[in-house]
Amino acid sequence: MTTISTDGLTRRFGDVVAVDGLTMTVEREEVYGFLGPNGAGKSTTIDMLLGFKKPSAGSATVLGEDVTKRSRAVRSRIGLLPEGYELYRNLTGRELIASAIETKGAHDDPDEILDRVGLDPDDARRAVGDYSTGMTQRAALGVALAGEPDLLILDEPSSGLDPKGIKLLRRIVRQEAERGATVFFSSHHLDQVERVCDRVGILHDGRLVAENAVDDLREELDAGATMEVDVDAVPDDLGMDDVEGVGGVTVDGTTVQVTCRRPGAKMPALRRIDDRATVEDVVIEDASLESVFEEYTAEGIDGSAEGSADATDPQRQAAEGD
Amino acid sequence: MGFATVFKDDVRNAARSYVVVGVIGVFAALVSLVFIAEIDVYDAPFRAIFDASFLLFMIFPLVIAPLTYLAIAGDRSRGTIKFVLGLPNSRLEYFFAKYVSRATIAVAAVAIATGSAFLIAALFYVESPDFVRFLKFLGLSALFAMAMAGTFVTVSAMTRTRSRAMIGVFGAYFVLGPFWLGFIPVIGLDTVVDAITSALGVELAESTRQLIGVLSPSTAYLESTELIYTGVFERYRAISSIRSETDYLADRTWFAVLVMAAWATVVPLLGFLRFRSVEVG
Repeated sequence: MTTISTDGLTRRFGDVVAVDGLTMTVEREEVYGFLGPNGAGKSTTIDMLLGFKKPSAGSATVLGEDVTKRSRAVRSRIGLLPEGYELYRNLTGRELIASAIETKGAHDDPDEILDRVGLDPDDARRAVGDYSTGMTQRAALGVALAGEPDLLILDEPSSGLDPKGIKLLRRIVRQEAERGATVFFSSHHLDQVERVCDRVGILHDGRLVAENAVDDLREELDAGATMEVDVDAVPDDLGMDDVEGVGGVTVDGTTVQVTCRRPGAKMPALRRIDDRATVEDVVIEDASLESVFEEYTAEGIDGSAEGSADATDPQRQAAEGD
Repeated sequence: MGFATVFKDDVRNAARSYVVVGVIGVFAALVSLVFIAEIDVYDAPFRAIFDASFLLFMIFPLVIAPLTYLAIAGDRSRGTIKFVLGLPNSRLEYFFAKYVSRATIAVAAVAIATGSAFLIAALFYVESPDFVRFLKFLGLSALFAMAMAGTFVTVSAMTRTRSRAMIGVFGAYFVLGPFWLGFIPVIGLDTVVDAITSALGVELAESTRQLIGVLSPSTAYLESTELIYTGVFERYRAISSIRSETDYLADRTWFAVLVMAAWATVVPLLGFLRFRSVEVG
């Protein structure tokens, strides 16, 4: 069953085409990663899905409702964590969540939601204006979770969260999917998308340039994995020529590096090496989603190396600690 | 549910703001000051009401401007509106909850100031304060507060940046107050009307000219205060000067009340009709 469906969804701002003929579907109970650099059109797409902005062309349905005509019906069944917002700064976190529950006519316990998003009772009773960015994001996530939404729309949800908060976010996303909710996870943080999403759509310059499961995207681009095998001595013939799925072999000292285009190629290649030498160690590195992303967009995220293995990056730290 | 929760959140958020508390306090202090200053000048407290109503006409819109100009424009510029409208609140509920919330605060400011003035009058004036006159003053001032709050919230809904909202609100104050009343020589409504009639080569009847003059909520408020002084016009020359002398529609106090009521309802309605189609985000 389809939760989100767009058909040629387009949005222009004057001469600028922010979203260009977007056609996609997000199935029920799916965690869908909506990936793209800043300015790709992700937030504009979300704004159209919520009825905040009108499409210049095309159509969209969310939970079976036409977003241009039945926006309120849509919003009664979703939970939204928007990007770039401020909460009412003189209300407490608990009041904001209680208000969202009341607006949705739900019967949730605000304290349970606060506990879920990791806001302790004392903080929950302080004004939001005194919160750190991470605490504000947790309170906002709590608002989104009110009323057990059928669809959770998260726009850059890990912004401002520390590694602990990011892990918590991932856990909540998984819990929501297990509960039966669909999660639309919009982000430019590749690690987050890679770790929680079933399927990924890559948006670039307003166009959906790729859409598939993360592994399938890697396979599409022959960007599967690299296997580094340390052996006691490298034989003259590694016998890799007839191993299906092996893209290339290089040797550096006693380390053999094998590029595997698909997951099924790793074990046959390893067995072949093990037949000819004593294997001392094996390291397998999947191609990151970033490399897949770069292939499709011909640029890094924001034109920089963000999302790469930076030890100080909380996204990366959370990924490593998971 | 939507209207009630948006209203409750907005009132709570505003009530805990030092700006709101400060503004209400300053206004109550100013009105109280008028009454205190006139303890030894007039025996009757209603004479101080007369001066307080002029203060209200001139100052009160400036007092509520900071309370209203960001009501919706602030939510739009800060992105807070995405949270509120991301929940199942309709734009109608959101807009009117915002208006009623800010109008409630404005009316509360008037009520506190009037209560303070009544207390001073009861304690220090030679004559006892007439409760009904104070009640009329409160009612008319509350309606004026709603008219101005409605106008300013409407301006706020039509703009998406703080600076434009501020310019719009202060522009509205100037046009509807000092300009309409002709407070500043040359720069006034009369000058504009004269220029237009002269250009068109027509003559405007005095009744029409006065009717135009009372169509602003500010001038309508001043006109409507005549209701407060029923039976005591002759006690003080200043008050007798505002007594209606013609049968023109513009001189009827009920019409002045109607004008304020229209500004408090029709203008916000027009504001909503514009706001319901604006894009968010």
